[in-house]
Amino acid sequence: MVHDIADSWMDAAVSTGTTIMAVEFDGGVVIGADSRTSIGTYVANRVTDKLTRITDKIYCCRSGSAADTQAIADIVSYSLYYHENQTNEEPLVSEAASEFRNYCYNYRDSLLAGIIVAGWDKKLGGQVYSVPLGGMLIRQPYTIGGSGSSFIYAFAQENFRKGMTRDECVEFVKKAVHHAMYFDGSSGGVCRIGVITETGIDRDIFFATESKASKDQGN
Amino acid sequence: MFQQMNIQQNFPEYNIPGKQHHDFSPYESNGGSIVAIAGKGYAIIAADTRLSSGYSIHTRKQKKTFKLTDTTVLGSTGCWCDTLSLTSLLAYRMQSYVHTHQKTMSTNAIAQLISVMMYNKRFFPYYVSNVLAGLDEEGNGVVYSYDPIGHCEKTTYRAGGTAGALLQPVLDNQIGYKNQNLAEKPEITKEKAISIATDTFISASERDIYTGDSVVICIITKDGIEEKTVQLRKD
Amino acid sequence: MQAELARELPPAGFNFENCKRNEALINGGFLAPKTVKTGTTIAGIIFKDGVILGADTRATEGPIVSDKNCSKIHYLAPNMYCCGAGTAADTEMTTDLVSSQLALHRLNTGREVPVVCATTLLKQKLFRYQGNISAALVLGGVDLTGPTIYSIAPHGSVDKLPYTSMGSGSLAAMSVFESRYKPDMTEEEAKKLVRDAIAGGVFNDLGSGSNIDLCVIRKNKTVDYLRNYEIANRKGERTLDYSFLKGTTIVTGTKTFNLDITETVIPMEVA
Repeated sequence: MVHDIADSWMDAAVSTGTTIMAVEFDGGVVIGADSRTSIGTYVANRVTDKLTRITDKIYCCRSGSAADTQAIADIVSYSLYYHENQTNEEPLVSEAASEFRNYCYNYRDSLLAGIIVAGWDKKLGGQVYSVPLGGMLIRQPYTIGGSGSSFIYAFAQENFRKGMTRDECVEFVKKAVHHAMYFDGSSGGVCRIGVITETGIDRDIFFATESKASKDQGN
Repeated sequence: MFQQMNIQQNFPEYNIPGKQHHDFSPYESNGGSIVAIAGKGYAIIAADTRLSSGYSIHTRKQKKTFKLTDTTVLGSTGCWCDTLSLTSLLAYRMQSYVHTHQKTMSTNAIAQLISVMMYNKRFFPYYVSNVLAGLDEEGNGVVYSYDPIGHCEKTTYRAGGTAGALLQPVLDNQIGYKNQNLAEKPEITKEKAISIATDTFISASERDIYTGDSVVICIITKDGIEEKTVQLRKD
Repeated sequence: MQAELARELPPAGFNFENCKRNEALINGGFLAPKTVKTGTTIAGIIFKDGVILGADTRATEGPIVSDKNCSKIHYLAPNMYCCGAGTAADTEMTTDLVSSQLALHRLNTGREVPVVCATTLLKQKLFRYQGNISAALVLGGVDLTGPTIYSIAPHGSVDKLPYTSMGSGSLAAMSVFESRYKPDMTEEEAKKLVRDAIAGGVFNDLGSGSNIDLCVIRKNKTVDYLRNYEIANRKGERTLDYSFLKGTTIVTGTKTFNLDITETVIPMEVA
C-alpha cells in the first residue's frame, strides 16, 4: 500500500552503517570511526560521534543499531562510574569489555550491536577488545568493525606491524577508515580519531579529501 | 536422503540483519478527484491537477480531463500509467471508428467502447476511476461512471477518485436533493453546477491530501468545450 | 467503602489485556481502527541567543486530514520545548509524562533541570518500548551549558546537533538547512530559516500542511511560543451559500414526555 511507503521513515531503525577501528601501541590505543548515521538510504546525521566515552580512559566504538549501542554504552558507563566510586580505583579496560560482552551476549536475540572497547589502564596499558554481533569477547592487537570493515580486511592485515609508534598507528587508522568510507556507501562523513594514553584522550578530525583509492579510480 | 531432509527441516530460520524483501507491484495510486454534473443542454466535468504518490507530489499541473470529441470529455484518475495507456488506446480505437464509419463517435458509443476496453482486461485491470461526461444525441448532458473492470452506469452526477467518497454525498444532497424536504426542486443550471463543482473541490482539498493545487472545469455545451481553472490549496 | 473505590483503580502503566483478543479479531478479518498520525515536518536550530523550534500543524488518518491546526510543539519545562512527530497519542503522552517527571525533579532539587536530563528520560522510555512508542522528537532548550538541540528517534537513539529535522517532511526541511544554515545567526535570520524549512515540508510533503508554529527559547530564559506564526494556507472561498432553509429536515413525528424531577439535599459531612 501507498501509505506503507510513506510511513517507512517511522518504522526503519536508525543504524550506524559504520566503519570503526582500534589499534594498540606501546602506552595506549588509537581508535577511529567514520561519522555517518543512516535511516535506510537517508543520512540522519553526518557528523556523528561514534567514539563514545565510558570512563576518561576507556572508550567504545559503536556499530549496528544506534539505539541499542547508545543504551548499552549508557548502562556500562553508569555501572563503571559507580564501581570507580565504590572502589576508589580506575576500572580496567577488561572489566568494561566483559560488561559489554555480558549485555551483548545475554540480549543477543534482541540487540544489533557490534562494539569495540578500547582504552588504557595501569595493569595492562593500551588494550583493544572486540565484542562482535553474537556477544563474543576477544582481545586483539588491532581490530576493525562495522559494514565498512569488509573493504579493509586485506589493507589492515597487510599494513599492520607489531610495535608501531603512536603516530604510525594514527596514520594506519586514518588511511584504513578513509578507504572504507570511500568504498562503503553506509560509511562516510569525516574520520574521527582518538588517542587514549595514561593522560586521557586526544581527539582529532580528518576530513575525507581524496584518498589514494579515489586517485587510483581516476576520481 | 531421508537424513538430508531431516537436516533441512530442523534447520532454524535465521533473521539476516538488513535483509529486505520487496514485492513487485504493477499498480500505484497517483491520486486526484473528478466531479461530473449533467443537466439540460450542458455537462460539466472537473478534475484537480495534483499528481502524487506516497507523500510526494510529482506535479501540480497535470490535467486529468481528456477531450475525446467536441461533445465528450473523459476524466480519469488512479494509476496514472494505466490512465495513459487506456486513453492512448482509446484514441486509436476512436480514430479507427471514424475511418470505418465516416463519423465521429457519439457520447454513448464512447461510453460503451470504454466499458468493453476495460472489461477486456478483466483479470489484470486498468487501476483507474473513470467518469465520462458529454452531450447525448438530443444535446442534453449525460454522465457515465465506471468501476476498474468495465461496469458502466449512466447517471446525471458523479464524484470519483481519492476524494470520491467525500464528495458523492455532497452531490447527492445538493444536486440530487436527497434528504431535503423542499416544496420545489429546481433544475440545476449550468452556472450553479459550475459553482457546486468548484466548491466541492475547495472542500475536498481541505481534507484529502491527494486533492489540491488547482481544479480544471470543462463545460460542455453545443457551442463547444469551455475550460476554466480555479486555484486550490497548495499544501 | 474505600476498598471498593480502590478496586476500580487500574494499575499504573500500559494495559495489555486486550492484545490477544484484538489479535484474534484482526485474524478474523476485522479492520483495526486507524490511529491519528502526525506525518509531520518538525525542525530545530541553534542560533546566537538560543534555540528555535518549528512545526507544521497537520494531523492525518491515512489519506484524510484529521486536524488542520494541531499543535506539535509541546511544553516540557520553562527552559525546554519538544516537537513531536509520529503517532499523535504517543508524542503527546510521552512528552506530558516526561514534563511531569521534570517538574518533580525541579521541585526535588530546587534547580533548573538541564536539557540532557529530559533527553535521557525520553530515550530510556522509548528504548524500553523497542520502537513500539512511535514518537520521533526534536528537543530544544537552554541550560547552564548553553543552547542545545537533540533529535530522538522512536527506537531511542539520540543525536546532538546544531540543526535537525524529523518527520515525513524532514528531507524537505533538511535541504533548506543544509543550504543556508550558518552558526551564530541573528534571531530574525534564524526565524526566517526555520519558517522556510517548515514551509518546505508544508508545500512539498503531503503528510505536512496548514500553518507554521515556531518557538523561540533564548539564553536569557525568555520564551516566545509563536502559535500560528504564519498562516501558510488559507481556506478557499466557496462561491455558494449552503445553509439549509428551515424545515429542510423532515419531522416524522413528535412525542412529549413529562419529567417529574425531585431532589433531596443531604448536607455534606464536615469533620
